Amino acid sequence: MADQALISKNLRLSQATQYLQNHDRDGLIACSNGLNNFLDANAIYVFSGVRPIGESAVVLDRDGRSTLIVTPAWDGERAAAASSTDETIGADDLAAALRSAADKHGLTTERMLSAGLSLLGQALAARIAAALGGAPQPADDLARDLARVRSQEELEAAERANWIAERGYERLLEYARPGLREFELAAELYCFMKKLGAEDNFLLLSASQHNLAVRAAGERILDVGDIILSEITPCYRGQFVQICRTTVIGEPPPAVRKNYVILQDATGEGLLAARAGARVADVTRAMNAVFGKAGYADFCRPPYMRVRGHGLGITSDRPGDIVERNERVLESGMMFVMHPNQYLPDSGYLMCGESVVVTASGARALSARPAQLDVIAA
Amino acid sequence: MKTMQPCVTIGSYTWAQDRLPGDEFSVRVDELRSAMARHGWRAVLVYGDVREHAALAYLSNFIPRVRWGMALLPASGDARLLCAMSTRDLPAMRGLTWIADVRSGMGPEWDKAFDPWFERFSAEPSEQQLGTLGFDLMAPVLHDAVRRSLGERFVLQRADDVVAVPPQRKRPRELTLLRASCALVQDAARVFVEGWRESGEPETAALAAERAARSRAAQDVRTLVSLDGGRTLSPYQGRFDKTAGPLLGYLAVKVMGYWADLFVTLEGASKNPARRRVEAALDAVIATMRPGVRAGDLHATAIAALTPLPLHPALSQSVGHGVGLSLHEAPELRAGADATLVEDGVYSLQVGIADRNAGNALLSAMVRNAKTGAEVLLRSP
Repeated sequence: MADQALISKNLRLSQATQYLQNHDRDGLIACSNGLNNFLDANAIYVFSGVRPIGESAVVLDRDGRSTLIVTPAWDGERAAAASSTDETIGADDLAAALRSAADKHGLTTERMLSAGLSLLGQALAARIAAALGGAPQPADDLARDLARVRSQEELEAAERANWIAERGYERLLEYARPGLREFELAAELYCFMKKLGAEDNFLLLSASQHNLAVRAAGERILDVGDIILSEITPCYRGQFVQICRTTVIGEPPPAVRKNYVILQDATGEGLLAARAGARVADVTRAMNAVFGKAGYADFCRPPYMRVRGHGLGITSDRPGDIVERNERVLESGMMFVMHPNQYLPDSGYLMCGESVVVTASGARALSARPAQLDVIAA
Repeated sequence: MKTMQPCVTIGSYTWAQDRLPGDEFSVRVDELRSAMARHGWRAVLVYGDVREHAALAYLSNFIPRVRWGMALLPASGDARLLCAMSTRDLPAMRGLTWIADVRSGMGPEWDKAFDPWFERFSAEPSEQQLGTLGFDLMAPVLHDAVRRSLGERFVLQRADDVVAVPPQRKRPRELTLLRASCALVQDAARVFVEGWRESGEPETAALAAERAARSRAAQDVRTLVSLDGGRTLSPYQGRFDKTAGPLLGYLAVKVMGYWADLFVTLEGASKNPARRRVEAALDAVIATMRPGVRAGDLHATAIAALTPLPLHPALSQSVGHGVGLSLHEAPELRAGADATLVEDGVYSLQVGIADRNAGNALLSAMVRNAKTGAEVLLRSP
């Protein structure tokens, strides 16, 4: 696994080097603000395999030589052990360290590209531009584009992350009960999945007798009749996955049962439509058509839903949001979460979602057990 | 300490009006309005993101759990809050702040959200001045969008250096919440030590401490552990390996917006020389605390007590800093720092050594700077 991980990391550096050569550029400076957004690519992780604590950068030249700079300086040793770059530097002043690394690589601002500078705080971005003598030409989509198709190692990590998500949901079914507060349930699930290897987790979990949307856990005390919505999103080795589930304490109302079937059918149509070569817009329309057929076409827009799915960080959030205006063409090996989560007037907001990988014949869900309306005995 | 930022903070952030009632925010905003009057600002725009949001939280109680938020606080009239969440999420966002007018900062026309408010001034002939807080943290692409929304009608003036928000001196309700946070991190530290004794695995111990704090309504928990006996610190690695010790770790807990943090060093039966020296240095710094003391003098006190051994590299040449709505507030206790510590300021004092011969130790204390000296709120076990 360790050798395979190195191959995958070096693959992204090799791809970026090739990109520089093809576009007649001498180098690239990729930056991160230290956030690991599950809806975004983290260029530092893509090019080094290191999850940064603070602001950080990778410097790459057209000869393929690479340097990782992390802040704070004391994190340098951990980063060096994990990084696929040729050199790793721990620093407390990112701008000064970047200047020094750019000089060492023989790079000038006019011949460089940058990725992620626009995500940094503007004060730091200005200091970096001053240190470099100007802002390099932005290529902010480079990391997400190069990493848009998952490598074998990334797919294996995603499969493991999904396994963790499913175990997390099983823990919810065991642990949730009347009398428990939402934040207590969230704490248990978060730590349970962390023990299984989840390095991060975009965990939304909330309950209501009539949900308007899912949200982060609050103070609410669970009780009979509550419909628990959970968006379980662990990250394992840089691969976020997400499953969306709906769980009722006690007997679900008939409208909830009826409407949940619509969400399941929409997922089914989406899986069929999401084959390599299809457009995201077409996948979205296939899912929305199920709601239209059931008489809910007018609810296929905010605030009744947000999107029908989205890409997953932190290597690449391609293909982006699953919406009708997204004309991107799906490729085999792309990953995203497909979730026809929906507010409907007689049931409230319901959730049904799977992380999927695109294949030639449609999308394959990573879950062993597809989403169903689950019941916790009252 | 810098720690790994989670992609979302999962604790409960509902506005607790019994602990931070509306009149508390009225007082805070009135102080800002006095500054507006002094500087001729028609309003102040306050920005915060998921990582750093002390000014925004101090004035609005809104803490972004993902992305960012921005409040418009006018000299007169109603406040408005823009948050980078979809319209679907706005009902939940409204439960996190006293500001009634909460709008979505997502979607193609988000930057027009403030336009109706700005229209109030359109008839006035001269340029209007707006103060800004926290804009250094704002991404350039977002700042450009804000500037476009403001057009030519307004001039932005950086307010961060003119008004201290949040103030270094904590208000009574802030001190109450900081004490609650200290109590929770102390309990978590107890679980951390017990977990280590049971498992011999630093990461298992840290996870047990995190679970204990989160299950008691901590809004956020951060941990670092040493996997090499205290020479370096690491964020979560997910390996859960046994280590020989000593146990060194760092815990930080947030309660109703307010942070407390603590280092834990646990050896075997006898204390190593490093620990004895670090304890003496921490005692010396605490004894030096008083209103008006210079940050640089506290640093010098610690270094003198550690000499000839150097400060632990994990402390980044600092022996502490303010703590409150941010885990890392001013002033930084660094060599030569001229900033002075104030009465009722709350500080995390941190001292440590990593030395091949003397051993490794990191210890800390949370203190309130009282008129008569330091009130120790929390100290490493």
